[in-house]
Amino acid sequence: MTELVVIGAGLAGLIAATRAAQAGHQVKIIAKGLGATHWHAGSVDLLGYFPNETVAIQRPLDAMRDIARVQPQHPYALLGDAQIGDALKNFLALARAIGLPYSGANQDGDNLWLPSPVGAARPTFLAPRAQRAGELSRTEPMLIVGLRGMRDFYPELIAENLGKQGHRARAAFLPLDLITDRRDITTVQLAYALDDPARREKFASELKKLAQSGERIGLPAILGMDAHADTFDELQAQTGAEIFEIPTLPPSVPGIRLTNALRNHLRELGARVDVNMDVIAFHAEGARVLWIESEASGRPLKHRAEKFLLATGGIIGGGINTDHTGKIWETIFGLPLVAPRERGQWFRARFFDPAGHPIFRAGIPVNREFQPIDANGARVFANVWAAGGTLAHCDPILERALEGIAITTGSAAACFAGRK
Amino acid sequence: MKFIETQILVIGGGATGTGIAWDAALRGLRVVLVEKRDLTHGTTGRYHGLLHSGGRYVVKDPHSASECIAENRILRKTHAHCIEDTGGFFVATPEDDGDYPDQFRAACQHIGIPCEEISIAHARKREPLMNPRAARVFGVPDGAADSFQATHSTAQAARQAGARILNYHEVTQLLRDGDQRVVGARVRDVARGEDIEIRAPMTINAAGAWAGLIAQTAGLRVDVIPGKGAMLAVNHRIVNTVLNRCKMPDDGDIIVPIHTVAVLGTTDERVADPEHLTIEPWEIELLLREGDQLVPGISRARFVRAWAGVRPLYQEHYNGASRDATRDLTLLDHHARDGVAGLLTILGGKWTTFRLMAEITLNKACEYLGAQKPCITAHTVVPGVEHGHYWLGHRLHEVEENHLQSELICECELVTRAMLENAARQHPTFSLDDLRRDVRLGMGPCQGGFCTYRAAGILQSLVVSQQSSVSSEQSSVNSAAEEWNVAEMQSPAHNLQPPTSNLPLPISNSPNLLLRDFLQERWKGLLPILWGRQLKQERLDELIYLGLMNAPHLPDAHATSAMSEFYARPGIAATADADAGGAQ
Amino acid sequence: MHTASWHSVGMTLDECIKCNICTAYCPVAAVTEKFPGPKYAGPQAQRFRESGQLKSPDLAVDYCSACRVCNEVCPSGVKIAEINARAKAQIVAARGIPLRNWFFGRNEILGMIGNRAPQIANLGFHNPFSRWMAEKILGVARHAPIPHWSTRGSFASWFRRTPRLKSENKVVYFHGCSTNYYEPEVGQAAVAVLEHLGYEVIVPPQNCCGLPMLNNGEFPAAEKLYRSNLAKLVPYADRGYPIVGTSVSCVLVLREEASEMLDVENDQTHRLGRALWDLSEWLRDLHEQGKLDTNFRELKMILPYHVSCQARAHRMGRPSLDVMTLIPGLDVREGNAKCCGLAGTYGYKSEKYEIAMKVGADAFRFVRAQGDAARMVTSDSEICRWQLQHGTQKLARAPIEILAAAYGLYDLDQRRLKAG
Repeated sequence: MTELVVIGAGLAGLIAATRAAQAGHQVKIIAKGLGATHWHAGSVDLLGYFPNETVAIQRPLDAMRDIARVQPQHPYALLGDAQIGDALKNFLALARAIGLPYSGANQDGDNLWLPSPVGAARPTFLAPRAQRAGELSRTEPMLIVGLRGMRDFYPELIAENLGKQGHRARAAFLPLDLITDRRDITTVQLAYALDDPARREKFASELKKLAQSGERIGLPAILGMDAHADTFDELQAQTGAEIFEIPTLPPSVPGIRLTNALRNHLRELGARVDVNMDVIAFHAEGARVLWIESEASGRPLKHRAEKFLLATGGIIGGGINTDHTGKIWETIFGLPLVAPRERGQWFRARFFDPAGHPIFRAGIPVNREFQPIDANGARVFANVWAAGGTLAHCDPILERALEGIAITTGSAAACFAGRK
Repeated sequence: MKFIETQILVIGGGATGTGIAWDAALRGLRVVLVEKRDLTHGTTGRYHGLLHSGGRYVVKDPHSASECIAENRILRKTHAHCIEDTGGFFVATPEDDGDYPDQFRAACQHIGIPCEEISIAHARKREPLMNPRAARVFGVPDGAADSFQATHSTAQAARQAGARILNYHEVTQLLRDGDQRVVGARVRDVARGEDIEIRAPMTINAAGAWAGLIAQTAGLRVDVIPGKGAMLAVNHRIVNTVLNRCKMPDDGDIIVPIHTVAVLGTTDERVADPEHLTIEPWEIELLLREGDQLVPGISRARFVRAWAGVRPLYQEHYNGASRDATRDLTLLDHHARDGVAGLLTILGGKWTTFRLMAEITLNKACEYLGAQKPCITAHTVVPGVEHGHYWLGHRLHEVEENHLQSELICECELVTRAMLENAARQHPTFSLDDLRRDVRLGMGPCQGGFCTYRAAGILQSLVVSQQSSVSSEQSSVNSAAEEWNVAEMQSPAHNLQPPTSNLPLPISNSPNLLLRDFLQERWKGLLPILWGRQLKQERLDELIYLGLMNAPHLPDAHATSAMSEFYARPGIAATADADAGGAQ
Repeated sequence: MHTASWHSVGMTLDECIKCNICTAYCPVAAVTEKFPGPKYAGPQAQRFRESGQLKSPDLAVDYCSACRVCNEVCPSGVKIAEINARAKAQIVAARGIPLRNWFFGRNEILGMIGNRAPQIANLGFHNPFSRWMAEKILGVARHAPIPHWSTRGSFASWFRRTPRLKSENKVVYFHGCSTNYYEPEVGQAAVAVLEHLGYEVIVPPQNCCGLPMLNNGEFPAAEKLYRSNLAKLVPYADRGYPIVGTSVSCVLVLREEASEMLDVENDQTHRLGRALWDLSEWLRDLHEQGKLDTNFRELKMILPYHVSCQARAHRMGRPSLDVMTLIPGLDVREGNAKCCGLAGTYGYKSEKYEIAMKVGADAFRFVRAQGDAARMVTSDSEICRWQLQHGTQKLARAPIEILAAAYGLYDLDQRRLKAG
């Protein structure tokens, strides 16, 4: 029988399963589909704004220590310094081991500000190697290069907005047919195309002609997929310029690189990742969940395990659902949720309201061991843990903490689940 | 101050106003139309899209009904490409009144509305989701009408006949010459921030729900009965025939398939302010409950949008509920009524009868102007009819035929880059909402999640290319419109290239502002129906614009446009804003 | 093609949040522009087709191979492959079906005809001239791996003429057309294993499951075949006999796909669905009950295992892997390739053959990467076995053949039951 079943293959689930496997536990992931890593920037956002959008965070770890005062139930407040530090350290080592090194700001503990696809400055804590040179605290001028005919990247808009923020930036275009004969193509397919050394070289030589001395070159995040490290290194070598990737609209190539690398690593550790498993039922006796069932042709598939870890992503992941009567529920175990009492309290009038929308803070309340609790604070099941965006009392998107919540809580929940 | 001299000044750029401008121009009159925002900003852009057969009012308001069927036949010819021949069913459920169906059928026959009783089995074969417990079903020639395309085509026809159509020109004051005559209006050009005086011997107030406010500026009292109607759009065409309840017209008794959605409507509530409308939870509940009678299970469907329009009803000395106010068109001749010449106000009616309303209004105007020109609009087609009736699959077909997949900016609604650029070049783009009305940008399931960003990027590109090209003289917006066939604005196949025009690009707001305004505008219409799958969608859109883009922290984050305040007002009454601070 | 009810697959288009994950993973869109991608051709285009009007707005959906990778990775539960299949059926209803596809649909009849005189049939069809003619006239790709008629006679005739075990424990076997006419050895291995486990095998009258017709949009004809199978098989289901199949595609059709795609759902279809098992799935279940004989001989070999997209479509996990790993000495290596490319009748079509070979490249690469010592490859679907043989020149065997060999009943090289 499997020791631990992790439900959800987003970053929280992948990290939780990796920690458990690293500790020698027998673990598998089942997931309905793939997750939010495919939609985001591919960097690790730890804490960008808190408690609301008007307060930019310069040093997230410091801010996270204060969270317990302002919001004692925030997942970061449930974690101690040690757990957070451990999770991040583990992630950095893991990322290096899987060939996708990440790093933080030169000033240790600071947030990095990187150019977003629209040219705003987005705060992040750990950036993949390919995004580092875009750091906006640097003063070298930037050349933002797009591909004519690629509809998900707009160098002129990026350059214009960077310029308005006091950075030196200009825009240029290269033809799409440098990389591909296709016109209808996604970022993922472009990235695979650049894995090919011949195309890469052709691209590099044209790129080199565009850049002026001293400029660093910003490109859409399509610089290789399976051969990303080589692609990136060779482009830099052949152009003689520093290059940085700027993330694009989904699908996120940097996110997919990370997901693929984590899944391969899990495979090497002997942990299965089974996608296309939609959990539809569970069976518990007393306070122990004995098995869960996933939908399959003919008959549901039973998954027995000693322990279960929910990393189902909240509203965006399908772990939490709502209906027109204002009902809100956790979709796997029917766990009690913390949520606004009525639909009239779900939203604010402005989409970009700095305080965000209360419904998105809804989620599963947990104790310090990351086990779901009820309204009295009592643990609901003895062998269930929860991590990631499905947790209550935080809004990972508003706070710019998406990957941070996933990694720290995923790590912690896995560690707690691993204890005897 | 700029002055414009003309024969007829039309106030209001909805179906009626543009219809009047068209009719006037065809009669050889000089006419200027002013619309305070974008064409169809008002009621015309906010209704469910029904081309009435008249069946709905055949028992309650037979006069209205007979006008409807006559105009239905005319519009199918004059505005063919704006109409989808969906047909309509009147469905009597077991809850519905015992002998109403027979009354209905008799009245249809009496008025001349083609009406055929259909077997339940046959009806369900055509519409499998229809209530299986339906008792009786009648088929009528209802249709679905694209009011955006129709208004633009009418405006184009008007321009081609010599009319001037001025968007984003807001009337601030009707001008009076003494006590007894209206001689025109002072108008603010919102784009340039300048005032213009337009003088005309006849002013026609076709401002719909705002008609009372306009009349007031001349000291005249016109008590419009603003009947707010809320409606919801289902994410896809769960029905392809207009479904009506076969009973006296009431709330929530119609589902109209229009373009890629099905619209469930409507409510009718008297409101005070036509500009700022909220949709109440009880309205949503009602629509879902009633909708379940026509199509059981619709309450669990995915809704992508909710909105409200205001019917400009008028009934002299009426104090009752707006649901029961007459839908008849009313022409107020202020000379006869108030002793003030030079002004006519046209109210009431329905979209289906806009041409007739224009005809009646202009007949009266011509009387006063001494111009004996007959109306020819009933036999005159507008540009675009050569495409025939609207067909749901046409965009998909054209994109495939012309290999335009890589050009798609709004993938949900199949809007290409060239379509967007052409629309942007034609009139002041104050907001992406203007472009939305033209080409359906952002009207699909993701509600602007992907296309808002792309549109902002593309418009920035246009701005840059304009800056770098040799700028020519400021040309009138009119002639720009003539170069481009607005009848094709929704057709990928006819927008293969953006025009190589060196006319200045009338983009009035920065792409950053356009992006923020449009996301807010979309949010407004989502709030009333944000649950389940659409809530999940919107969370993804938030991930993109907050997490990935950090759009709230773009430079000029505090800039606003003429539309920003309008979009910022919540579309629902109950929000969490009362709870300041947000920590939970 | 009207959506008949709220349960119809067309309704799942409303689950789509346009996230582009499916497009990022579609193996066909990755190699050709002719297919605009699953999001486009499925839930997105469907909003423009759902009108019950006979005129089909788009034809590119024809390039969907129905591999179902999109369904696997979709986090929202959109039944993209099924939406595409129904769109193809709408095209066929409007425009009729090309003769070639009509022949593919009638592969049972073709099997029967060739079975009369298999040597002549093979000689007559499987020669360069005939294949060239078939390509020129019908559009059947001349290099595509069309199977040879079995020269050892059909499975059904072997079953009828050989003495079989009688027992109180009964199992019904659904062989499918490919086992019957092209690979009767697979059926023989299945019967041998089942009898070894003490079961009496019943092979009732049965007909083609209808998958080639479903894949090529011939829904009315497919429905006739389905209803015919319902009538023939449900009585056995009602007697409580499990119905097992070695053709993973046929089982998927009979217990899920036909009902979903044809919008035919009733008590009968449920009873049949519940009684049907993939044979590996059934053996795994037996093992979980402790009833599987695990007294295997050692099979010392490296065995690459390509997991058919059709097998994954069952969402039943990897029962073949679970069972094969019980065999001592057997080094089964699971591949991750998305699709072998042949995808039913897709790769047999001249306009799609090259696409299929490009799609299958990952699978071929995986197999070759296991080294020359690996002489054989295994896969649940006959389609994958033929394509892998074609692409790698390795011998392909079904998992049940491996099992039969491990029980000492079967010769893997000769591909025949051992005497006695």
